[in-house]
Amino acid sequence: MTDNKNTERFDRADRGDTQGRGANRNRRFVTRPKFCQFCGDKNLVIDYKNVELMSRFINETGKIRPRRQTGTCAKHQREVATAIKNARHIALLPFEGDFWTDNN
Amino acid sequence: MHKYELIYILQADLDEATIDAAVETIENLIKSNQGEITKTERWGKRKLAYPIRKTNEGYYVLVNFDYDPQNVAGLKRTMGFNEQILRTSILRVD
Repeated sequence: MTDNKNTERFDRADRGDTQGRGANRNRRFVTRPKFCQFCGDKNLVIDYKNVELMSRFINETGKIRPRRQTGTCAKHQREVATAIKNARHIALLPFEGDFWTDNN
Repeated sequence: MHKYELIYILQADLDEATIDAAVETIENLIKSNQGEITKTERWGKRKLAYPIRKTNEGYYVLVNFDYDPQNVAGLKRTMGFNEQILRTSILRVD
């Protein structure tokens, strides 16, 4: 839940960056989740079959989101990256593009 | 013997009898090489995240099984010959 909020915040920061000089100030105040959610919650398993979970770790162009945005620790980021790649192979996640708004 | 997880995507436009037959063929294929199936799960029709062979939908089947590592490459190859299967993925889970 909180993660969704963070996503929005970062999206806004990205957009602000393209607007020019003053907008850079926004970016400095962007906070990130301080703890890795997989370290914090041992029941949360990284699974390439869990589309809902994995889709939180890709951005709207289908790229894997960096650690600085998601707050994931290095160890779990590696697992997340592998899981996303596995999910892409069986067409659960896109290689590129937004699959939420794409209706055939 | 190792634990493996197989996911394959069948063409979505097949009728139910054909799907049952295809799933059974795969199960027999695994069993014929001393494989032991622990779980089969049919996810059913799902939209694909990107088109495969110009279709946007696929019928997903998940199979958990124990298998001899030497035979995995052969299994994948045999499944590749089946035209009803759009995509396969075999991953070790242990």
